[in-house]
Amino acid sequence: MSESASLLRAVDIDKSYAGVHALRRASFELRAGEVHALIGENGAGKSTLIKIMTGAVVPDSGAIEFNGKPITQNSPRLAKQLGIAAIYQQPALFPELSVAENMAIGLEERAIWSRVNWGERRRRATDLLARVGARVDPDAEAGDLTMPQQQLVEIARALGADAKVLIMDEPTASLSDEDTRNLFSVIEQLRDRGVGIIYISHRLEELPLIAGRVTVLRDGRTIDTRAMSEVNRQQLIQLMVGRELSAVFPKRAVPLGDVVLELRRLGCDASGIHDVNLSVRAGEIVGLAGLVGAGRTELARMIFGITPADRGEILLREEEIRIESAPQAIQSGIAYVPEDRRRHGVILDLAISANITLASLDRLARFGTMDFRHEKQVAADYTRKLGIKTPSIFAPVATLSGGNQQKVALSRWLVTKPSLLILDEPTQGIDVAAKAEVHELMMELAAQGVAILMISSELPEILGMSDRIAVMCKGTIVATLDRAEATQQNILALALGH
Amino acid sequence: MMRLNRYKREMSTALAYVVLLVVVAIIAPSFCSGANLRDLALNNAPVLLVSIAMTLVILIGQIDISVGSQFAVATVAAGWLAKSGMPIPLLLLCVILIGASMGALNGVLVGWLRLPSIIVTLAMLVAWRDALRWTTGGEWVQNLPANFQWFGMGQQLGQWTIVLASLILLGLLSWALGNLAAGRAVYAVGSDAEAARLAGIDPARVTFAVFTFMGALVGLAALLNAVRFSTVPSNAGLGLELKAVAAVVVGGTAITGGRGTLTGTFIGVALLGTIGPALTFAGINPFWEKAIQGAIIMLALGSDFVLGRVKRLHTAHPQITQIP
Amino acid sequence: MQLAPPWRARLFPNNEWVLLLVIALECAIFSITGNNFATAANAFEITRLSVEVGLLALVLTLIIITGGIDLSVGSMIGLAAVVLGGLWRDAHLPIVVAIAITLLVGIVSGSLNAFMIARLGFPPLIVTLGTFSLFRGIAEGLTRGIENYSGFSQRFLFLGQGYVFGVIPTQLFILMAAIACFWWWLHSTIYGRSLYAIGFSPEGARYAGIPVARRLAFVYILSGLVSSLAAIIYVAHLGQAKSDAGTGYELMAITAVVLGGTSIFGGRGTILGTMLGLFAIVILQNGLRLSGQPAELAGVLTGVLLVGTIVFDRVSMRIRQAANADKQLSEEEFDLRNSQLAILSGVILVAALIVTGGNWWSTRSLLKELKGGGTASNAGSGAAGHKPVIALMPKAKGDPYFVSCKQGADEAAKELGVELLWDGPTDLDPAKQNEVVEAWITRGVDVIAVSVENKVGISTVLRKAKEKGIKVITWDADAERDARDFLINQATPQGIGYTLTDEAARILNNKGEFAIITASLSAANQNEWIKFIKERLAQKYPDMKLVAIQPSEGDRDRAFAETQTVLKVYPNVKLLMAIAAPAVPGAAEAVQQSGRKDVKVTGLSLPNMNKPYIHSGVVESIVLWNTVDLGYLTVYAAKALITGELKPADKELRAGRLGVVEVADGEVRLGAPFIFNKGNIDRFNF
Repeated sequence: MSESASLLRAVDIDKSYAGVHALRRASFELRAGEVHALIGENGAGKSTLIKIMTGAVVPDSGAIEFNGKPITQNSPRLAKQLGIAAIYQQPALFPELSVAENMAIGLEERAIWSRVNWGERRRRATDLLARVGARVDPDAEAGDLTMPQQQLVEIARALGADAKVLIMDEPTASLSDEDTRNLFSVIEQLRDRGVGIIYISHRLEELPLIAGRVTVLRDGRTIDTRAMSEVNRQQLIQLMVGRELSAVFPKRAVPLGDVVLELRRLGCDASGIHDVNLSVRAGEIVGLAGLVGAGRTELARMIFGITPADRGEILLREEEIRIESAPQAIQSGIAYVPEDRRRHGVILDLAISANITLASLDRLARFGTMDFRHEKQVAADYTRKLGIKTPSIFAPVATLSGGNQQKVALSRWLVTKPSLLILDEPTQGIDVAAKAEVHELMMELAAQGVAILMISSELPEILGMSDRIAVMCKGTIVATLDRAEATQQNILALALGH
Repeated sequence: MMRLNRYKREMSTALAYVVLLVVVAIIAPSFCSGANLRDLALNNAPVLLVSIAMTLVILIGQIDISVGSQFAVATVAAGWLAKSGMPIPLLLLCVILIGASMGALNGVLVGWLRLPSIIVTLAMLVAWRDALRWTTGGEWVQNLPANFQWFGMGQQLGQWTIVLASLILLGLLSWALGNLAAGRAVYAVGSDAEAARLAGIDPARVTFAVFTFMGALVGLAALLNAVRFSTVPSNAGLGLELKAVAAVVVGGTAITGGRGTLTGTFIGVALLGTIGPALTFAGINPFWEKAIQGAIIMLALGSDFVLGRVKRLHTAHPQITQIP
Repeated sequence: MQLAPPWRARLFPNNEWVLLLVIALECAIFSITGNNFATAANAFEITRLSVEVGLLALVLTLIIITGGIDLSVGSMIGLAAVVLGGLWRDAHLPIVVAIAITLLVGIVSGSLNAFMIARLGFPPLIVTLGTFSLFRGIAEGLTRGIENYSGFSQRFLFLGQGYVFGVIPTQLFILMAAIACFWWWLHSTIYGRSLYAIGFSPEGARYAGIPVARRLAFVYILSGLVSSLAAIIYVAHLGQAKSDAGTGYELMAITAVVLGGTSIFGGRGTILGTMLGLFAIVILQNGLRLSGQPAELAGVLTGVLLVGTIVFDRVSMRIRQAANADKQLSEEEFDLRNSQLAILSGVILVAALIVTGGNWWSTRSLLKELKGGGTASNAGSGAAGHKPVIALMPKAKGDPYFVSCKQGADEAAKELGVELLWDGPTDLDPAKQNEVVEAWITRGVDVIAVSVENKVGISTVLRKAKEKGIKVITWDADAERDARDFLINQATPQGIGYTLTDEAARILNNKGEFAIITASLSAANQNEWIKFIKERLAQKYPDMKLVAIQPSEGDRDRAFAETQTVLKVYPNVKLLMAIAAPAVPGAAEAVQQSGRKDVKVTGLSLPNMNKPYIHSGVVESIVLWNTVDLGYLTVYAAKALITGELKPADKELRAGRLGVVEVADGEVRLGAPFIFNKGNIDRFNF
């Protein structure tokens, strides 16, 4: 085959969200008839780049070209017409409809009064499903399928849509080896037919089997694009993390106290967590690293009581305790700042002061009646202390910037004076200044003797802020490293399962 | 190929119906006469038609409790138009249009302005019925032209026409829901409105269409009911909304949308419509009817839960959080 | 940084101040167009009437703030009322114990809702739609539809009918106490705060450690409890407990809540707003009534108001979301909200103005009266130039029977040159009857003439009217004797019952089976007649057997279906006796369509709707009286009372075209029941 033409090109894409610079003049080129892997850590900008290509997001600057022609106003509709299809980790199917119908609805362009041909739908579905090797009954309800099955259905649908560009985001995350092999053969078929495939995956070991080229993103920039044959895993990891550690984070050494939290063989079948052993001491910051899907948030939720554990033990200050609900966890001195700030961290439409006091209502009340003056005081105090910029503490949290919203979320838990504070991606999506403030706050808390468990996908943050680092992979903690022995490379390697 | 597993709910309702019939047949054999069944069909034809439309409304995740008032308005309109000498075919068209316009009003408010359907149809329930009472002063429409009753076809033919019309509509619409793109769009919107939009189906338009269709079908039902008599009352359709919703829910349509069949609704209408007469046949005092119907609704909901068909409140499903 | 919210935002977070404006404007308009609207007495009466719905509205505010809804509150009132009545009358429990158990029943019923909604996670709309039906059904089942508990002690009735300090209704204190409790609970406690959080985001609340299921369960259980409390007051208010208590109250309560600024999507709402919303509606209804406008107008306007309010709510939510997406609360947004609210209220007021202005002539004549010096606020024999005002109330404005009475009443009013007010509930509703009478007392009419649905309850308020110097007569159905001056009687229940039975006997040749199609199983009149029918049967016709009594609920189609069933279940029945006006044509049509030439229909109904059936022979005869004459006579008697022509000891009365009518024993007798049949029916047109 001669040098293939460029099928889809993104040139110098720049995109910022609310003070976070997601992509900095990133570029990417996909040729027809190739499988091009796109890798990078969490937050490197992969999903933003993909969304720009599928038209879901509009870039601030930069250009997209399809088959050499620039696309000025991309949109989901236009992308679909051009033949750009994406399959994400969370399949978007209609749960009550059959598999055949799900596949048909995306594919058919039917007039509203036309008659549906069930036979044809079923045949087409069966055919496509067979081609991806999915053992799925076309008449089954989509909602009844397992996740891997749903994924295969989506892939089959994309197949049927005659996509020219197929973007696959972590397609093998929940597939068995055999299913993976099937999938790869399908991908190869597509590739041989001239389809360009962007393959996003953390499973570095798979890439040599399927990808022709690989592009590495880091901190919103395109670092390098290499031929798969010319690079090995170590080098890839190096490219993914190779950044200088700035001196922003050094965590001050603090005398460590007793063990506050200890987890022994903790597990929960429904969440996929098993055999977790961990301890956190007063004044200590334990960083919890791992890839998305490794189970870190699930573990946090177990400790906080949202989804209680069903095996193993939790010991709080040496005493075993069964945590069945969030109120109970809070009573025991545990606080959790969730990852999803807008949905779980704060209540957007509620006032700032109300948000701040929401987890400590009984502490601010006597016989159930609220002490408004006290509430105002507390809210004003924390607003000042954390530097939340707002004209009024009675404004709804929705009016604040991301960084300030996170400060509100933090304040809420600080009011409860917890002995264990779990932070889930505390600085995700906030600007640099606010980030620094949050880190400073964490260090103060540690100095005051609070035990902190910090979940983060930012390796520099993990390395800079943690006394110890626990790495999670596939639902359990695979290693615990001291700060001195941890490097970005070995953390990432552990997180990837090596 | 019928996947029987999918229709567990409809089948259990059908079973309940059969059991009821058997029990009644044993206690009062005269229940199962042809004449009785025909009368049941006639008396429940209007409820059936309205329940069919209600199925569609509930399938897209909405509700319409103004149907009783719409029914009353359409009934009186039919009477007035007939009295003014309008020929039957035109009369049919006009009454359907009147119903459709009432439905369209709901459709605009719910579909495009995205107001919660419970409140909108609650307001309409009060407004239409009161406006009707105000205009009629409670008077019935009397001295109708002779060709009004049974469309002038005489009792036998008229009865057959009504029963057949409702059954044919049932069949047609059942087929359409399963086989026309428009019908599948209804299920898609009810299952996941956002995904439907992304697939090119406009939920606002579908919602508007469904409510308008509801109004049209209510108009038709009102007319078909009115021509069984020679006078037109001013307070028709009392309690119709509750009967229709109950029949739909009992018949297996999920209240959260996206799942349900018209066959199930038909069984629901049959089941609930049989209870009253069955009580009489069995010599049980009629005042228990309402309690039994309420209990059946609760049972239907309970079985939905047991069968795991409930989409919990906490899931991010737009329709659920919109119907309070 | 602002440390205290502006007082306006604190008191009126959802711009409820607009409702104050609306209420002020309503008051302004109605004090001109409505008689005695702007008096203290009327103001208190308005509050008395809103207590029961007000209690429901209070608890519904909490529920709707959480993003839920409870449609079963009205039906709960019915269930609680009959439980109270049964425990008091049949189980002979002391009233306090009965009240306690009734409240307990409320808690248990609320728990059913709570379990399905909070624990199992069902959508509140559907669950409470189910219990809406279930509770009412149980109430009807328990009372067999018929029972009407009354005879409560004076002390108990004081709760609902008494006055403290002579002018403040007792239940007002209960309402005030409830408002205070709910206000405190919602706005000052941590539980109230958690409700707002849940309403905005149940998941967010969960992550903040709020026990969401527990809080939700509490409000639904509270709803059951409060509905029972409302039922107790309702029973004390009316003096009777029936299974239909509270019908339609949920609609009004929800309307008040939504109108008051509570968002149906959850998270927003205040007690003050709900109360303002409630009063806006109640004043609207009261004002319209005092201005002589039909009650249906209030219904239509309320529907329009409701839709208008949520359109506005929706629009402002969209604005808020858009503003949040840009993360800026702009000055413009606030102004936009204000101006849109202003537009909305402007529209409502213009509509109200158009409507009241529509009865322009009555406004003008009232203004003339005000200028003329003779205010209409004194009842009693009219001063010179004062046109007597006769207020006539049917049991149900929608019943064709009463519609025909109105015909005669209009005729008489025209002949005599009096002003006739015609108002009442659209369907049987004893509570509404009381309301209307109260309004008339405030208005200061000369005579009040009521066809009584609820004997015990109406008598209290009629006595009040008499104290104020208003003449009181009852017609068609009586109140307690001391509560009225005269009864215009067309026939006694005994007379009706006996005549019906005799007619039936005549048709059946004194032997055979027949069935009765009644109105609703709880209809008081019909049950009276049935009592006498059974008596007469036992007395004179031992060979005749009554095999079934089926309800038609005032629905012609239902009577039709019930008759069909009866014909099949009881093949030996040869006669259907339908004792409600819409039931006779329904039954007749059923018999006709069945082809059973051996079955006849008789009953109590109006001539016009039965003419075709009389001519075809299906309906043998209808027992009635000339309802037109009844209305006519009532108005004549009313006028005679005013002029003093009719005195307690009189033996006769001259009544226009009816000639001389017999008066005896406090009754003005129209005459014996009249039997319409093929021979005479064409002479009548009503």
